[in-house]
Amino acid sequence: MNVISPQAAPPQASSKYDLGFARWVYANVEGGAKMSLCMQCGVCSGSCPLGDAEMDHGPRKLFMMVRAGMKDAVLGSTTIFNCTSCYNCVVRCPREVPVQYILQSLATKAVAEGYAEAVKTDNTRFSGAFNWSTAKFGRTDERLMTAKYYFSFGLIAAMKMSMANLKIALSMIKRKRMHLGAPHRIKGTGELRAILAKAAEIESSAGGGS
Amino acid sequence: MTSKKYTYYPGCSSEGSGSHLHVSTTAVAEKLGIELVELDDWNCCGASVAHVDGGYLPTVALSARNLALASGQGDQDIFITCAACYLKSHQANEKIRGGENMRGKVNDALGAAGMSYDGGLSVRHACEVFVNDIGLDAIKKQVSNPLDGLKVAGYVGCQTVRPFANTERGGNFDTYDDPSFLDDFIEACGAEAVEFDNKTSCCGGAIALMSPDKSMGLIKNILEEAKQKEADCIATPCPLCQQNVEMYQDMINKEFGTGYQIPVVFHTQIMAVAFGLDANKDAALDRNTIAADKLTKIANKN
Amino acid sequence: MSDKGKIGVYLCGGCGIGEAVDLDGLEQVASGEFKAPVCKKHDYLCGEEGRKMISGDIASGDVDKAVIAACSPRVMSDKFQFGGAQTIRANLREQVVWSHPAGDEDTQMLACDQVRMAITQAVRVSPPEPWKEGDFSSKVLVVGGGFTGMTAAMETSRAGYEVVLVERADQLGGMMREGAKVLAETPPYRELRDTPITALIEEVEADGRISVITGATVAKTSGMPGKFEVELSKGGAETPAETPAETVGAIVVATGWRPYDAGKLGHLGYGASPDVVTGVELDEMLAAGPALRKSDGKAPKAVAFVLCAGSRDPEHLSYCSTVCCGASIRQALQLLQAEPETMTYIVFEELRTPGVAEEHYRAAQEAGVIFIKGKVSGVDSGGGAGLVVTVDDALLGEETPLGGLDMVVLATGMVPNSTNIDAPSPEMDEEKLSALSADIDPEAPISVAGYLQDASDDADDKEDAAKEDAGEGEAAPPTYPEGGSILNLQYRQGPHLPILADGFSDSHYICFPYETRRTGIYACGPLRRPMDLAESALDAAGAALKAIQAIHNVKEGRALHPRSGDLSYPKIGLEICTKCRRCTVECPFGAFDEDENDYPILNPTRCRRCGTCMGACPVRAISFDNYSVEMLTSMAKAVEIPDEMDEKPRILILACQNDAYPALDMAGAAGCQYSAHVRIIPVRCLGSVSILCASDALSAGYDGVILMGCKSGDDYQCHFVKGSALAGVRLSKIEETLKSMMLEKERVSSMEVAISDSASVGKMIDDFVAVIDEIGPNPFKGF
Repeated sequence: MNVISPQAAPPQASSKYDLGFARWVYANVEGGAKMSLCMQCGVCSGSCPLGDAEMDHGPRKLFMMVRAGMKDAVLGSTTIFNCTSCYNCVVRCPREVPVQYILQSLATKAVAEGYAEAVKTDNTRFSGAFNWSTAKFGRTDERLMTAKYYFSFGLIAAMKMSMANLKIALSMIKRKRMHLGAPHRIKGTGELRAILAKAAEIESSAGGGS
Repeated sequence: MTSKKYTYYPGCSSEGSGSHLHVSTTAVAEKLGIELVELDDWNCCGASVAHVDGGYLPTVALSARNLALASGQGDQDIFITCAACYLKSHQANEKIRGGENMRGKVNDALGAAGMSYDGGLSVRHACEVFVNDIGLDAIKKQVSNPLDGLKVAGYVGCQTVRPFANTERGGNFDTYDDPSFLDDFIEACGAEAVEFDNKTSCCGGAIALMSPDKSMGLIKNILEEAKQKEADCIATPCPLCQQNVEMYQDMINKEFGTGYQIPVVFHTQIMAVAFGLDANKDAALDRNTIAADKLTKIANKN
Repeated sequence: MSDKGKIGVYLCGGCGIGEAVDLDGLEQVASGEFKAPVCKKHDYLCGEEGRKMISGDIASGDVDKAVIAACSPRVMSDKFQFGGAQTIRANLREQVVWSHPAGDEDTQMLACDQVRMAITQAVRVSPPEPWKEGDFSSKVLVVGGGFTGMTAAMETSRAGYEVVLVERADQLGGMMREGAKVLAETPPYRELRDTPITALIEEVEADGRISVITGATVAKTSGMPGKFEVELSKGGAETPAETPAETVGAIVVATGWRPYDAGKLGHLGYGASPDVVTGVELDEMLAAGPALRKSDGKAPKAVAFVLCAGSRDPEHLSYCSTVCCGASIRQALQLLQAEPETMTYIVFEELRTPGVAEEHYRAAQEAGVIFIKGKVSGVDSGGGAGLVVTVDDALLGEETPLGGLDMVVLATGMVPNSTNIDAPSPEMDEEKLSALSADIDPEAPISVAGYLQDASDDADDKEDAAKEDAGEGEAAPPTYPEGGSILNLQYRQGPHLPILADGFSDSHYICFPYETRRTGIYACGPLRRPMDLAESALDAAGAALKAIQAIHNVKEGRALHPRSGDLSYPKIGLEICTKCRRCTVECPFGAFDEDENDYPILNPTRCRRCGTCMGACPVRAISFDNYSVEMLTSMAKAVEIPDEMDEKPRILILACQNDAYPALDMAGAAGCQYSAHVRIIPVRCLGSVSILCASDALSAGYDGVILMGCKSGDDYQCHFVKGSALAGVRLSKIEETLKSMMLEKERVSSMEVAISDSASVGKMIDDFVAVIDEIGPNPFKGF
């Protein structure tokens, strides 16, 4: 039977209820250790602003799916990418399971694993554009980041999205709320990049989260 | 009044979409005897989005650099106006303070730039500082231009109170589901804080930026109640909430056939007016895309 | 007959009585009509001065029967207790001035009648002489040497009493195994603790007051509380060995439970694979060492627990056994402690983890147990790929196979040992069988030779008709579970202790746990209902205390609950007795036996003093020193029946003291008003009401009679089991009599009044009075 070591690569979702995936999540996902305490009460799903509308499974069900070893369904779900980080679930869970942290961490893992559904979400693209700006300037340049985000969808889509949001952009410019000059750049960009690179290295070698 | 000194981390939005929060906070702080020394060479905190593509530890490292820089500026508390910046910084700080494992890894990463941080500082939200360090009475004392007749819907949002407002390190300053601090600020300024059930309903946060269509419903709920309660404007402490609730009103009107034109201002903008300061130079009311006419009128009366 | 005695009548004017009725008028009744030698008034009888007045009269020898006309007899009983005199109470407060308008003529008539009835009662009562003949034993017999039985024995011994502890197996311990683990009982509830059974066995064996007899069963139990004669049988039915008979004062039955027969759980895979085991079998393994697969002796790497296996299932056990969820969690923790990498799943429909079991649920989750909510639709032996449990997963919303399992554990339920399954069922003659069936089915009135035959036929006919409608054959009578009797009672009601639903020794006996409907015999532990260790320990202590209480009271001739402390007991006028045996058969507690001439003999300490025998006797041969048919009918006749022309009907209400009378009191306390035409006489139990009381009352000119008592039937509330049921049945017989008297059958009625019905009892009375008004006055008035 599968006895999975937490340090090894995550197991393939073979049979249903494969505890291996659950155990891997417990060990490798932020807040995962507390996930075992979920008693399936559903307060998280009930409190989630986008749970009903935008998530294919609410957080409660997602946790059950983790326990059932449904790795692909979990890491390919829309659930983990439509969390607004409102933290309702975190403060309301009666078992103090850090729901949001787990969901966000699963999202990170899904992208790292290279799941197609994960890599292509709005969230992942936005994060990519965001981090591009941070790495380059040390800060988020809102207009450049937005442009990068739009263009990640392709030229035509980028044009469309720009046009759709043009009015808003113009009103922000008019009201001195969009920086038009050269991007603000910190002095320590090199330092920052070194730190981020080192952090990424530590993370991938350790294979673990908190 | 003794001046309270803080290291001020304004966050990326202060340079663009949230610049009016920065301007009004600076103006109001001076009146309240708060000395804000900006954190030198601060970087982005990563907000709610960095980790998805960037990974977990690198995101913590972003805040760690800011904390390391801040400790170089003294041991005073860090004062943060943006809810997301506050959340990420406070979270990272508590993780580093919390255990050898995280502290070790973070310092390893910081070591690549020859920096380190031992977890000795406190990260505080500006509103919590107003409540605990300054106090409502001191705020009331500064009100020379009370906002008579102004009805304000106090929209707190999510990350200002969740998950830290009820914790010891978070200052224990209010509750998660029905916080009163914003209404208190509003009333202290002489305005009427309308009863607002949606005060901690989510505006969609970062999702509203990347995929506006997903959050239209959420924002509409907030606007609709403000309209029902006949609020002259919505006040909020969070720059993302302010932006989301303000700039998508046209889109929402188109989608739902509504006619919202509700000004959305910051609590510090309201305070600035109540403190008798200038409408544009201090309260930065000229930066709101939906003009807060009634508030401006009161400001100009002065 | 009773000595007329020196009667003193004391009229209290307090609590509004003096303002609402004319006490002088009452004095006139006492002194003028009844010529009571002493009659005094006082504004505050229960106070020191008032009581001194009464006790003074008693001390001086003027009074030996004090009639106290004041508040309800349910209150101030301690204040109105006087050495050297009997107290008789007349209720002027709750049932006169509080429930009827002040100063009203009818209220005054009611008050006068209350005094008349009380004085009439006083004349006909004597101070009860307790029965305490011979020697009484202070020993307690405990049957069952498991956790519950041993705890009961220890508690009894600690209180200073000797115990005989009888255990069927060759060693003590029952279902608990040495070496087993149980749930923690102190915070943080994470460490399992060793079973307490080892220490308990040591304690019991070392205790000087406990005499342990293993390998033995009870062959015969005869006698009565205080004087139970118990014969034991050692070495089984084949080679019974002689053991000296024991005389004990009270008996505690703690025979515990056995697991449900898993052979019936083929649909859950039991029997198809050796690796599908029950929770009890797993515990046997764990107590001795690691849990190993029966098929190949290897440790299992993936285990699934199926909860509610054969429980809460109409095809098997209908009930929940309380402890299985907690036990399965404990077993899962044990497996993980031994081998932390074991894949452990618990499949449940509902998870019942009360008290500290909730903490263990968290511990199990922390240890990595996966809890799956769903219904198990099958367990298959997979064919090489391990066992597969198919679950209709409620949380995922789909039917899912839980495969690759090395072991499946079925958490089966508890079956009470209300019989000894190692012994054959006892032979019982028809009479005993019918008594047994009546015991099990409280709705069936106890059939008496010839008397209630029609009624029982009616009940059976109705049942048969219902079953025919449902398409079944003739209704089978309810049966006792298979197996030998635990106590082999030599009672006319048969050898068994009564059971209720599902074989548990329970009694529905509200307010009185451990009650078995056999006086002086107390059931505790899982025999009563499924329970865990903590509850069983408490139950054992409770039953031990009841046993000790019984021993003390019977020695002094005092009744046990519900009429705690009652010194009276039924006496039979053998010269009138027709040997009809109704008293013997109708007694709910089997207190009567028959002598060699077929006359009834009372076992006094078995008696609860309810008077059902008194009500059953057709010739009024049975009476108590202070309670008799003659007393009741005389009290009724003492009432002044107004002339037909006065248009003041008179309704007699015989109200049972346990439910109806308190309800009437509480109605008065709440200020409820009802007709003043009723005359209420409290009775010990409706079972004690002879139907002759009703017919006598009608002959005397009453327009109506109500028998007011507690709920009967399957969910009975009657403190004496069948009193109100019997009254109802006897009442149905009166129709003939009424017809022959040319009286409407509506004139006599029974009403179910629970103690909680105080808000509606007034209306019930008024509605009845309205019916009587409609019918018109009793034509026998004035005859």
